Amino acid sequence: MSLVTTQPDRSVRMPDLKGVLLSSEFGLFLLIVLFGGLFYSVSSGFLSSFNIAAMSRAAAINIMIGFSMMAVIATGGLSLAVGAIGACAAMTCGWLLQEIGLPWPLALLLAIAVGAALGAINGVIEVKTGLHSFIVTLATMSLFFGIMIFLTQAQTYRGIPADFVSFGRMKVMGISAAMGPTLIVTAALIVLYGNTRIGKEMLAAGARPEAARLSGVRVGRMIVLAHAISGGLAAIAALLLVARNGAAIPSMAGNLGQDWLLIAFLGPVLGGAVLTGGKISVIGAFLGAVLVTVLSNGLLLMQIGEFWLQACLGAVLLLAVLLDLARRNYLERRAKQ
Amino acid sequence: MTEIAFETRSVSKFFPGVKALQNVSIQMRSGSIHALLGENGAGKSTLIKLITGVYRPDEGQLFAGAQEVHFNRPHDAIAAGVGVVHQERNLIPRFSVAENMAMGQTTIDPLKPIDFRRLNELAEPWLDMLGLSIDPAIQVSRLSVAQMQMVEIAKALSQRTRVLLLDEPTASLTPTESQALFDVLHRLRADGVSMMFVSHKLEEVQEICDTVSVLRDGVNAGENIPMRDLQRKDLIRLMIGRDETIPEARRRQASAQSVALELRDLSTSFGHRNVSLDVRRGEIVGLYGLIGAGRTELAKTIMGLGALTGGEILRDGAPVTITSPTDALHRHRIGYVSENRKDEGLILDHSVLENAGITIWRRSANRLGWLSRSGVRMRTVPFLDRLAVKTPSLHQKVGNLSGGNQQKIAMAKWLAAGVDVLIVDEPTVGIDVKSKAYLHQLLRELADDGTAVLLITSDLPEMISLADRILVMDEFILKGAVANTRDYKAMSQSVMEHIHHSTDELRQAQAASA
Ligand SMILES: Nc1ncnc2c1ncn2[C@@H]1O[C@H](COP(=O)(O)OP(=O)(O)OP(=O)(O)O)[C@@H](O)[C@H]1O
Ligand SMILES: [Mg+2]
Repeated sequence: MSLVTTQPDRSVRMPDLKGVLLSSEFGLFLLIVLFGGLFYSVSSGFLSSFNIAAMSRAAAINIMIGFSMMAVIATGGLSLAVGAIGACAAMTCGWLLQEIGLPWPLALLLAIAVGAALGAINGVIEVKTGLHSFIVTLATMSLFFGIMIFLTQAQTYRGIPADFVSFGRMKVMGISAAMGPTLIVTAALIVLYGNTRIGKEMLAAGARPEAARLSGVRVGRMIVLAHAISGGLAAIAALLLVARNGAAIPSMAGNLGQDWLLIAFLGPVLGGAVLTGGKISVIGAFLGAVLVTVLSNGLLLMQIGEFWLQACLGAVLLLAVLLDLARRNYLERRAKQ
Repeated sequence: MTEIAFETRSVSKFFPGVKALQNVSIQMRSGSIHALLGENGAGKSTLIKLITGVYRPDEGQLFAGAQEVHFNRPHDAIAAGVGVVHQERNLIPRFSVAENMAMGQTTIDPLKPIDFRRLNELAEPWLDMLGLSIDPAIQVSRLSVAQMQMVEIAKALSQRTRVLLLDEPTASLTPTESQALFDVLHRLRADGVSMMFVSHKLEEVQEICDTVSVLRDGVNAGENIPMRDLQRKDLIRLMIGRDETIPEARRRQASAQSVALELRDLSTSFGHRNVSLDVRRGEIVGLYGLIGAGRTELAKTIMGLGALTGGEILRDGAPVTITSPTDALHRHRIGYVSENRKDEGLILDHSVLENAGITIWRRSANRLGWLSRSGVRMRTVPFLDRLAVKTPSLHQKVGNLSGGNQQKIAMAKWLAAGVDVLIVDEPTVGIDVKSKAYLHQLLRELADDGTAVLLITSDLPEMISLADRILVMDEFILKGAVANTRDYKAMSQSVMEHIHHSTDELRQAQAASA
């Protein structure tokens, strides 16, 4: 206990060991290692080069899906429309490539812009109507998806350039190249939330809108921005999927994009995000998504039926959360003595 | 000596990185008011939370009378006859006053449907006793901070406990309202109730307390000392541990500068009528009034949170329309320090540095939006230092700091903000004597540098020591100005005259119209 001093605070640059051990990021890391070891001991195929590439590719996509939810959780909202927006963006990309014949980098950029715009629509509706984002995105999820199906006649676009598809199947040092964009986005988000005014203002707006508003934060604008970022990230996730599948398929994220929801929430929440807003961890969401990927991959490898997979996944996740809680309680009690 | 009603024996409480209390022993006697003093962060609230079952002591024992007790939750304490008014408000905003007061009442049958009329009737006498004229059926969210404080007190009183702990109950009350509370406390004392009273207003402590215990950095620095042996300076010495001269209020000469903020015949949807005032650069204008006089509402209107129904606001002589707080801050450079730090002033889940820096992120970011941490630190830490904020690190969650230290941060962020017009609403609630003097100095320096300050405070001595002129507001109307003679007695009298004069007038008017 001391007075605040102007001396540079060492804990900024070098977090103390106790803090690291107590963090949920470290807990997730432990769990990933633990389950990885467990699956490897049951089936050595778990760490085969083929499986590692497959897992890293799945993880790259899952992480992006988690990030897209995290961006809205930061401002205290949620988005049920991430899957629908992802599907819309993917189909936009497919259409631009196949029907318009745009060069693929341009098509990607436009698809991401469409995702961001759809997200921004959610944000604007939320701010203007004052409705909770749950209701707003519940409605727009069906709306976006329905319009997309109407416009595309639910067809699949297969005219994806070979360059793009081969990127999706490329490996760098045994890891899927899809990890590349994901790592870049991860770094960008760490900077956004840690080192920029916008990122900090979004968190402040999420934690306590009244206080943030009186401190000069444009709360409404931050909410719209968060949804736009979320939409853009959902689009990137969907494009990674397009590259993997070699086609833009309307049902890539399930009906109405709902198949993404579980993973979208699990990543950030396991990573320590607070659902009421104001607190997130980019690295935590990253590791959370990796953990979920490892679990589902390992369970599939153990040839548990698809039906049991969901149940096991649920049970294991509950266990993971409880273990994490126990670990932190134990360490905190030790720290006091 | 009367019997001991409640006692702690060598209790300790540790938080990560903080020894909040170590071997603290205090005794509370029946029919007596016991003062608990200490600087911000000394451990007063923590001790009260131990006694009332919010925390469990890590070491030591609690005794109610001769009986050792173990409180696992607040309910246990209430059941054992220990009542409390916590420093932070704990009311449920969407419930009515009466519902809030009945909450946790052990005598209400959980299965019977609630008789709301009866709840209101039960609440009424306690509110009356404190001179609080509000309808018990009104929603708590519509009350001012001071009114909420009164409701909490009424709630604690209505539980009729034999031991009553009051953690800064008067922090946001004016002397008039505090006096009503003291009258009640005196009556309870005569009935044999044992009370503990925490306050940073030493005049009150000397006036109503029989004995004193002092905490310093979580340890006993004086146990059960009779109040009559102590002078104000003795109390201060006990708290800070050495003879320290608290900086004297310096007289400022506000030179005639241009008007920064002017209200002309302002009427609002809150009910203000024809309010006209101006604040010049470099001037501190005080706005005084009783609870519910409409001062906070006026500030909120200026910040764009209430609708104008007449009149205009001028900034640097030009009429302006202010639509929102962000508009006020970024376009017109007007800042507002809310009286409600828990809901509007701070983000309790965020760190000290993030709270202190929020108003200057915009200025500290470069063109790409990159925020330099050292830039934010450079602009905030000097203020945190001068206010002696007590925290294990700049990364501590603000919600984990003591109440007074939270308030210092709520102020520091605005001292750093560099606005042209600053409206401060109850700036020193819960801040200890020494830090208060430093905060006053900082506010004066701010004014000396050309900031126009509108000061709303219920703390009359503070008003007198800071304000260059004082305006009195009552019932949403400005009742006139009082020149500041810096003489407490005379000032307090003339201020009250303005207020009472107006209520008399009102009564006459009502009588005439009836
Ligand atoms: N929940 C908590 N977690 C961590 N530290 C805490 C917590 N509650 C209190 N503290 C620390 O314990 C110390 C004592 O705090 P406490 O609130 O009891 O002070 P206080 O005497 O009531 O001060 P004030 O006059 O400002 O109200 C402070 O240093 C504070 O930071
Ligand atoms: Mg306290």
